[in-house]
Amino acid sequence: MLTNLIFIILFMLGFYALIMKTNLIKNVIGLNLMEAAIFFWVISFSDIGGEVSIHKFGETMGKFNDPVPQALTLTGIVIGASTAALLLTLIIELNKFSGTIDRDQIEELND
Amino acid sequence: MNKLVKKTLITAVLAAAAFALYYNFSLLPGYQDLEKGISDYIITYGLHDTGSLNLITAVLYDYRAFDSLGESTVIFGAVSGIVLILSRKMLPVSSKGLSFIVKRTLGIMTPFIALFGFYVITHGHLSPGGGFQGGVILAAISIIFSIVYGSAFDYRRYSPQTKTVLETGGALTFLVIGLAGIVMEGAFLKNLGFLTAERGTLISAGSIPYINIGVGFKVGAGLAIIFYSMIQKTFEEDF
Repeated sequence: MLTNLIFIILFMLGFYALIMKTNLIKNVIGLNLMEAAIFFWVISFSDIGGEVSIHKFGETMGKFNDPVPQALTLTGIVIGASTAALLLTLIIELNKFSGTIDRDQIEELND
Repeated sequence: MNKLVKKTLITAVLAAAAFALYYNFSLLPGYQDLEKGISDYIITYGLHDTGSLNLITAVLYDYRAFDSLGESTVIFGAVSGIVLILSRKMLPVSSKGLSFIVKRTLGIMTPFIALFGFYVITHGHLSPGGGFQGGVILAAISIIFSIVYGSAFDYRRYSPQTKTVLETGGALTFLVIGLAGIVMEGAFLKNLGFLTAERGTLISAGSIPYINIGVGFKVGAGLAIIFYSMIQKTFEEDF
């Protein structure tokens, strides 16, 4: 229950930053916050109170946590980092051309 | 005033959406009650199928190895795009680095950071870690060099050409192991059974350690290239 609440608060904060802030770097931060919220949620329901899903050599283990959501989250983290780096690169290049990273000011430049 | 009204309206809509989401999530059944299917299979037979003690690595590099190949292709695409957009000048002009004390301390620490990175990469099937995590540690060495010694030192020690060779080599290792799976076992990226040794040793778990080493070099070199491309553009005006 608490994890659901934390997930929703984080996700909505990220979404607010994505649509309301005009600074493009803050938009990227919002996008990453939404990603982090989803990873947190996926990891939270893989925890069923068992052990970390790694066999200790030569021991018989008890109940394991679910390894599949953790592997999926690892994939997601890597792709999130790649897309964030690409977005920041595009913002650097946009700053070269327009001299600003503010969404509204860039729209005014077009007029 | 118009901005304030818009802000209040959006906040109200988001709060309503948050409440609706929370209400719907509280209706979901608990995870323990769900039929777990594939997870139960992996927990029960994962060690027997792959020989990897770390079940998460078993999922990443054996059951879903094709997905990991796509994932490293995404990194390759991101690195290619960033280098295409940003790189114009080969030798970046950056700061002279930090003080003498920091430089000497880092000189002592660097081999241990590298050793830890290689340990995390090569023991991915025995303990927490793997190619992606260890690769990030290796990329941190290049980033620390750029900050502490100045990026000209990093350029001389690990030139962009070396990093490119490492990244391409890592990706090719992954692909070659996948093709060897076709020849020897009959399916792309199938675990190479003849490499399996006694469980719990360093060279066990079939092709998983080799894929880990390839992915580790690929991720480390890729992230170092990303950082390097970004600083050479941003520091250009300041110094």
